[in-house]
Amino acid sequence: MRKVLMKGNEAIGEAAIRAGCLNYFAYPITPQSEVAEYLSHRMPEVGGVFLQGESEVAVGYMIFGASGCGERVFTTSSSPGISLMSEAISYIASAQCPAVFVNIIRGGPGLGGILPSQGDYFQATKGGGHGDYRLLVMAPASVQEAVEMVMEAFPLAEKYRNPVMILGDGLIGQMMEPVEFPEHLSSKPTNKDDWATTGMDTRKSDKPNVVKTLFLDAKVLNNLNLTLKAKYDRMKKEEVRYEPYNIDSDYKVLIVSYGTMSRVCKTAVDNLKEEGFEVGMIRPQTLFPFPETAINEAAGKKSCKTVVSIEMSMGQMVEDVERSVLGKRPVEWYGKCGGEVPTPEEVMEVLREFGK
Amino acid sequence: MGINLEGIVIIVGNYGSGKTEVSVNLAAHQKKAGIDVRVADLDLVNSYFRTREARKALESLGIDLVLPPEQYLQADLPILSPRVAGMIMQPSQLTLIDAGGDDVGATVLAALADPLKGKTIRMLQVVNPFRPFTDTVQGCLKIRKAIEAASKIPINGIIGNPNLIDETTVDDIYTGYEFVRGLSEQCDLPLEFTTVPGELISTVDLHRFSCPVLPIQRQLVPPWKEIRQLGTAV
Repeated sequence: MRKVLMKGNEAIGEAAIRAGCLNYFAYPITPQSEVAEYLSHRMPEVGGVFLQGESEVAVGYMIFGASGCGERVFTTSSSPGISLMSEAISYIASAQCPAVFVNIIRGGPGLGGILPSQGDYFQATKGGGHGDYRLLVMAPASVQEAVEMVMEAFPLAEKYRNPVMILGDGLIGQMMEPVEFPEHLSSKPTNKDDWATTGMDTRKSDKPNVVKTLFLDAKVLNNLNLTLKAKYDRMKKEEVRYEPYNIDSDYKVLIVSYGTMSRVCKTAVDNLKEEGFEVGMIRPQTLFPFPETAINEAAGKKSCKTVVSIEMSMGQMVEDVERSVLGKRPVEWYGKCGGEVPTPEEVMEVLREFGK
Repeated sequence: MGINLEGIVIIVGNYGSGKTEVSVNLAAHQKKAGIDVRVADLDLVNSYFRTREARKALESLGIDLVLPPEQYLQADLPILSPRVAGMIMQPSQLTLIDAGGDDVGATVLAALADPLKGKTIRMLQVVNPFRPFTDTVQGCLKIRKAIEAASKIPINGIIGNPNLIDETTVDDIYTGYEFVRGLSEQCDLPLEFTTVPGELISTVDLHRFSCPVLPIQRQLVPPWKEIRQLGTAV
């Protein structure tokens, strides 16, 4: 198929349609508003629905409602908007409904700024909402990968009956790259009759399906949490994804970096290689589950002296890197946030320093 | 065959059609040809990859760039600098206005109706047929109509900007050129020029184009890519 030139935000919208998602509820916020703009044209063309909620709180519950009815549904927002949706995300996880959330992160905390950041790592991977729940979190590093991850996110959300989050930063949403779209996926969730409130007549069943998040009986609630934990443990076994880079070399320093930041790091790794200074990199493609084993093994390589987490946040992913390295090597952090993306030269300088 | 553009030139087009990259490169190209150039960044709807990112490169060539005040450069706010009206009333040899995308981005032009009154204006539509919504003649005409309605100014020329950024091939350039040439014939508007990425200029057969060619040295690149030298000649 011929490639088209698309902005990340537009490609994310198109990818959802190609994945058979015909329900999109959202509220505009920079730097993700183009998804809504694009889908305001496209959803009517394919017989889908785009409804702008009165706020992100409302959008979160629109997602819950549609998902509870067994519809493929998604939303996109940016940091403060995701904070507002977090209550609903916790509810959706509790009710075990599938849904896809895209966060095109902007600088924070608070209203912050409109430029790219990775400051929502903790929010995405450690909660954000309340209670013992997890999101399956995928982090694209290109527009093409954003397309692929969005298309995979729907079946994954249905496989686990759990929300999946695509965590991009402002640059992933705003930059233009050529993309091609894989084939359309089937348009209906496969397992919805077991749980979705589609109506007993529709399902030809005499048992109602109930979607709820209130469990007053302590034993029942504990059992629900054990069920959820089993799902998250299964994700850890089956869904870990990462990309190794220059990992066959005798690297002195190992970088762990994701998303936009990893693109800068790749350039830095290539440039340093020309200077004769080898640096390896693990790029987590899933942030939960985190590629703990891969990082642990890569850190253990004889030539490796130091592991550095390079992120557009003030030391968030570094905690997961430390947890993965398990003290085998010293773990350092480098990052910037506020909107300025570190340049390859800045990263090279830092790596030379850590490599001494 | 040189690009013959002087006076007030407004660059419009679909969101993401490449208006800013074209404006910046056109400004540098005309400046090198000895024309006095001023550029106004009127993109009030986009928040990333705007003309202001190429500020230093333009200034180093002696091109005056009109922007909102420094403290608002990263603001998510539509700011129309009063200097824009001033530059229209006293235009330099080439006064280039880079408008925002779609009809929404062109709406601001209607606010400049007073200074533009009685002036000869060239308003040119940038078309990249590898973008969604402008891959058909019908799509290009639809956005033309919307931009004209929002800006209250008729479009009177087309700029071909066929590209897939780094993955553009020579064939893409030829196919895209044929598309914009066809568009120009169907809507009876002149094709002012077509663009070719600077790195491919030596590999294309320039005789295949019946209009001038503007080489594009990309300025609006993500931080891991190198910015090419602006204003390099064909």
